[in-house]
Amino acid sequence: MMLGLAKGLTYTLKNLTKKKLTYDYPNEPLPLPDRFRGIQKFYPEKCIVCNQCANICPTDCITLTGKKHPDPKKRGKIIETYDINFEICILCDLCTEVCPTEAIIMTNNFELAEYSRDELFKDLQWLDENDQNLRKENKA
Amino acid sequence: MIRTEEMLLNVGPQHPSTHGVFRLVLKLDGEMIIEATPVIGYLHRGTEKLAENLQFTQIIPYTDRMDYLAAMTNNYVLCHAVETMMNIEIPERAEYLRVITMELGRIASHLVWWGTYLLDLGATSPFLYAFREREMIINLLNEISGGRLTFNYMRVGGVKWDAPEGWIEKVKEFVPYMREQLKGYDQLVTGNEIFLNRVKGIGVYTKEEALNYSLSGANLRCTGVKWDLRKDEPYSIYDRFEFDSITAETGDAWARYQVRLQEIEESLKILEQAADQIPAQGDMIGKVPKIIKPPQGEAFVRIESPRGEIGCFIASDGKKEPYRLKFRRPSFYNLQILPKLLVGQNMANLIAILGAIDIVLGEVDG
Repeated sequence: MMLGLAKGLTYTLKNLTKKKLTYDYPNEPLPLPDRFRGIQKFYPEKCIVCNQCANICPTDCITLTGKKHPDPKKRGKIIETYDINFEICILCDLCTEVCPTEAIIMTNNFELAEYSRDELFKDLQWLDENDQNLRKENKA
Repeated sequence: MIRTEEMLLNVGPQHPSTHGVFRLVLKLDGEMIIEATPVIGYLHRGTEKLAENLQFTQIIPYTDRMDYLAAMTNNYVLCHAVETMMNIEIPERAEYLRVITMELGRIASHLVWWGTYLLDLGATSPFLYAFREREMIINLLNEISGGRLTFNYMRVGGVKWDAPEGWIEKVKEFVPYMREQLKGYDQLVTGNEIFLNRVKGIGVYTKEEALNYSLSGANLRCTGVKWDLRKDEPYSIYDRFEFDSITAETGDAWARYQVRLQEIEESLKILEQAADQIPAQGDMIGKVPKIIKPPQGEAFVRIESPRGEIGCFIASDGKKEPYRLKFRRPSFYNLQILPKLLVGQNMANLIAILGAIDIVLGEVDG
C-alpha cells in the first residue's frame, strides 16, 4: 500500500551520505568560468571615443565624452568622462563585443550591492580601478 | 439556520506558489471555487514596444528576460525570424551549438518545473535534487555564454562564442549522469501514493478543449495530440535527430507530469546525438551584413519552447529597427484555460492545477 513512499525514502537515505554540493560563499569566493559577464573594466588609454559602446547599449546606460588629443601632432580624440549607470546596466556584454580596441572588457566581479542608488553610478576612475579577475577571452 | 455567503479571496500577486507575480481573485463557497479571475500584468515591461526602438542585436538580451527559465529558445526564435527574413545561412557548428544549448535549457526548465511542482504539493526534497542537476546545466551554459540565466548567446546568423575546450565532452558526460538521476526521480516521486492521489484526475480537459484554447507544448500533448514542432515542422537541424514526441492520454495533471519527465529523456537523446555529430571546427557566424536590416515585409516563425509554441512575428519597413515585433508567448496562451479548470474545484487543488500548467510570469506578461 505504501510501497511508493518507502521506495522514495530509500532514495533520500542513499543521498544522505553523498558529498555536500553547496559553496561556502561569501567566506570563500565563488568559482566562475572565464567568460562570466561581470562588472566592466575600462582602459582610458585604449579608448578612441568611437561611441560604439554607447550606441549598442540596449538600456542606454553608458555616457561618455571625449576631448581633443593634448598632443597637437596626434589626431583623434581621447576620453574625458566615461560613466556606466549600474542601476540599469544588464551586463549583456554587447559593449565589449563592439569595442574595436578592447578598451572595455568584462571582469568576473559581480558584487554590486550598494547602500544608495547614487553609488551605482560608476565613473571612469572607478571603472579603471576595477582591475581584478579580468576576463581573458574577450573576442569570440 | 446557518447563514452562508460567498467569500472573495486574493491569491497573490506575491505568493510563492503562483511562480512569480500572478494574481487570482477567487470567489469561494466554503472550500469550493465558484469563480476564478486571473489578473496579470505585474511583470509587464513592454518588451514588444521597447523593441521598436532597438536594433535586432539589442533585442536579444530582452528576449532573455521573457521566459527566463529557458532563455536559449527565446534567443533562438528572434534570431530565427530575422534569419528567415534575410535568408541567412547558419554555419553547421553554430547550428549544433544552438541545438545543444536549447536542449540543455529545455531540461533545466523541466527540472525547475518538476522541483517546484512537487514543492507546491508539499514535498521539499525533490526540489533540492532537481536543482542539483539544474545547477550542473546552468554551469555548462555559464561556461559557454557567460551568463547563468540571461545568456545573450545567440546572434543573427550564428552564436557569439565557440564552445570552450572540453565543453562538448562535459555535455557528453552529463547525458548518462542525468539518465541515472531520472531513474532516481521516478523512484522518489512517481510511485508515491500521496503524490498520485493529489495529481490523478485533476485539471482534466479534453483534446478539443485544448485545441480550442490553443494550448501547446506538454499542455497539449497530455491530451493525446501528437504535435511537437521539432518533429512536425522541423526547424534548425532537428530533422537529423531521432527522438519521439511524447504524448499521454488522460489530459490531467498526472499526464502532464509524465509528458514532461519523459521529455527530459527525449532531450537527452537529442543531446547525445548532437554531441556526437557536431563538426570539430567551423565558423560561428554566417555571412551577415554589418548592419542588420531585414527587407521590407513580414515574417512569422514558431518553434517548440519547453512551455509550448513560441512564435515571433516581425514586420519590417527596411530599417535597423523592427516596425513591429510580436511574440507568441506560450505561457500566456496556456494560462487562459485556468479559470475554466478551477471552477468547482477544491481550494487545495488550485495550486496543483496552476502548477501543472507550468507558467513563467516573465513570459505571460511580456
